[in-house]
Amino acid sequence: MDTVVIEVSGTLSAASSLFLASAGLTLIFGAMRVINLAHGSFYMFGAFLTTSLVGFATGARFWWAVPVAALAVALIGAGVELGVIRHIYGKEHLTQLLATYALFLIFADLALRIWGAESRAVPVPKSFFGSIEIAGEQIPKYNLVIVGTAIAVGVGLWLLLKLTTLGWRIRAAVDDPESLEASGVNLQLLFTVVFALGALLAGLGGAVISPQIAVTPGIDGSIIVGAFIVTVVGGLGSILGAAVAALLIGASETAGTLAAPDWASTFPYIAMIAILAVRPWGLFGQPER
Amino acid sequence: MAALTHDERLVPSAGTPRPRLKSFGVAALAVVIVGGLALAGAFLPLSTALDVRNAIGLALFAVATNLLLGYGGLVSFGQAALYGIGAYTVMLGWQHWGWSFWTGFVVAPLVGAAAAAAIGVIALRTRQLYFALLTLAFTQLAFTLAHQQFEFTGGDNGVFGEVLPAWLADERQGYMFTLGVAAISCFLLWRVVTSPFGLTLRAIRENRDRMEALGVNVYLHQLVAFVISGFFCAVAGVLFVVHTQSAYPQLLEWTKSGEPILMAVIGGMFSFLGPVVGAFVYTLGQQELVQQTESWKLVLGVILLAIVLLRPDGLAGLVSARPWRRLRRSETEPGA
Repeated sequence: MDTVVIEVSGTLSAASSLFLASAGLTLIFGAMRVINLAHGSFYMFGAFLTTSLVGFATGARFWWAVPVAALAVALIGAGVELGVIRHIYGKEHLTQLLATYALFLIFADLALRIWGAESRAVPVPKSFFGSIEIAGEQIPKYNLVIVGTAIAVGVGLWLLLKLTTLGWRIRAAVDDPESLEASGVNLQLLFTVVFALGALLAGLGGAVISPQIAVTPGIDGSIIVGAFIVTVVGGLGSILGAAVAALLIGASETAGTLAAPDWASTFPYIAMIAILAVRPWGLFGQPER
Repeated sequence: MAALTHDERLVPSAGTPRPRLKSFGVAALAVVIVGGLALAGAFLPLSTALDVRNAIGLALFAVATNLLLGYGGLVSFGQAALYGIGAYTVMLGWQHWGWSFWTGFVVAPLVGAAAAAAIGVIALRTRQLYFALLTLAFTQLAFTLAHQQFEFTGGDNGVFGEVLPAWLADERQGYMFTLGVAAISCFLLWRVVTSPFGLTLRAIRENRDRMEALGVNVYLHQLVAFVISGFFCAVAGVLFVVHTQSAYPQLLEWTKSGEPILMAVIGGMFSFLGPVVGAFVYTLGQQELVQQTESWKLVLGVILLAIVLLRPDGLAGLVSARPWRRLRRSETEPGA
C-alpha cells in the first residue's frame, strides 16, 4: 500500500506544480489565441522576486512575498501586452512564436543581470517545515501548500469565468470578439487584463514553487516545456483540460520514477506523444483550422 | 500537375523547360558564393576561417530547416533532434562500435531520415501550434535520453575524441570538406525545391484545402519533406562533428531548434539563400556580440523583436517590398 501513497502524493504535487505553471498560458491562449513563449520567464521572475523579497535568513516574510511577487509579475505582463503582444494578435503563429521568443531572450538576459548566474534558495516557511506522516509515509508538509494553491487557482479561475462580468466577457471574447466589441466592451483593455492575469498566475506559480527548487536563470526554458506539454495535451485554451493533463502527466512522471528511475523524465514526453497521436488537438481542445 | 493551372501564379515552371538564362544565373551565383567561401577558407586568418566554417555548417542546418519552414509552412521545433542525432550517430558509433568517421558519415543521415520519418508520421497528424509543440516534445525527448542515459551517451559531458582522420582534422582541409559537403547538400535541396514536388509543397502551404480537394496527398508530401529535411539536418550534424569532434546534449535542446528558424527569419525564409545569409549574420554577429557585450541575448532579442514587428519578411524583404510576389515571379518569369 505504501507505493500507492507515494504514487498519489507524488502525482498530486507534480500535477499541482504543472497546473500552476500552465494555467495562465492556457487562459491567455483561450481568450486571445496568442501562444506565449515568455510565459516561463514570468514564472522565473515570480521565483526570483520571491528570493529577493524573502532574503536569505528567514522564511517569515514568505507569506507576503508571494502575492507581492505575483502582482509585480502581473504589472510586467501588462507592460508586455501594451508594448508587444498588442501588435501580434491575429498574426501567424510563427510571428507570435518569434516575438515571444524575443521576449524570452530579453527576460533571460535581464534576470541574469539582476540576479546573477548563481542558484538561489528560498527557505521553506516555518509552519510548513518538515514532513507529515500519511499511512506510514513521510510527505513534505510544503506539498500541501502547492496542492492547495493549485486547487485554489483552478476553482478560482472556474468561478471567475462562470460567475463574474470579467469572466463572461473573457468567454465572449473567445467566441466572438467582434460582437463583444460592438456591444461597447473595450476589447483592448480586456486583453491587457487577461494577459496580466495570465502573467500573475505564472508569477504566483514561480513564487509558490520557489522553496522547493533551486532558483536559477534557465528555469524559464525548462518550465515552459512542462507548461507546453500540459496545455497541448489538455487542449490549447481549456483550463479543465490543463487540470486533467497535469494529473495525467504528473501520474506518468511519478509512475516512471517508481518503475524505471533511469527513464522517468522521458515519460511525460512519451505520454504527450501518445496522447496527441490519438487526439491531435488534445483532450479538450478544438481541432484547429 | 495539370490541375495547378487554375492558379496562374504557379503555372509554367513545372512542365515547361526552365529557361537557360535563369539556370545560368543560378549557376553563376553558386560558383561565386562557393568560390568566395573557398578563397576565404584558404586565406583568412585561422580563427576567422573557423568561425566561417561553423557558419557554413549552420547554414546547411538552416536551409534544411527552411525546406519545412519557408517552403512547407511548417514550424518544426524538432530539427535540433535530427541535427543532434547526426552528430551523436558519428560519435557514438565511433565510441561503442569502432566505426570510422566515414561509416558514421554515411550512416548518420540515414538515421536522421529514419528518425524524421518516425517523428513526422505522428507529428504531421497535428496542425499549427500543436505541430510546433509536439515536435518540440520530440526534441526534448531526445535531449532527455542523451542527458540521462549517461552510460551510453556520456550524459552531460557528451562524447568527444579523435574521430576524424588526420587530414580532415587539419583545420583548413576540414574547412574545404565542410564547404564541399554543404554546397552539394544545398544543390540537392535546390533541386528539391525547384522540382514539381517542391512546387506542390508550396501550393500546400498556400492553400492546403484546395490541394486536398485536388486529390493531392498532403500528409504524404509533408512527410517526404520532413524526411528530406531530417536527412540534411543530420548531415549538418555531421559537419558539427567535423568542426568540434564532439556531440553533447545542448545540441538537442529546444532552443537549438529555434536557431535555424531564427536564421531563416533573419535572412528571409521566402528565398532559398535567405537562411544562408541569416546563418552567417546570426553566427558571426553572435561571435562579435559576445566579445562586445555580455548581454548578447538582450541585443538579439531586441533585434528579433524589431524584425518581427517592423519587417516580418526578414533581410531579404528589405530588397523587395513584396517578397511573396517576388518569390512567385522568380518561379514563373524567366530571368526575374
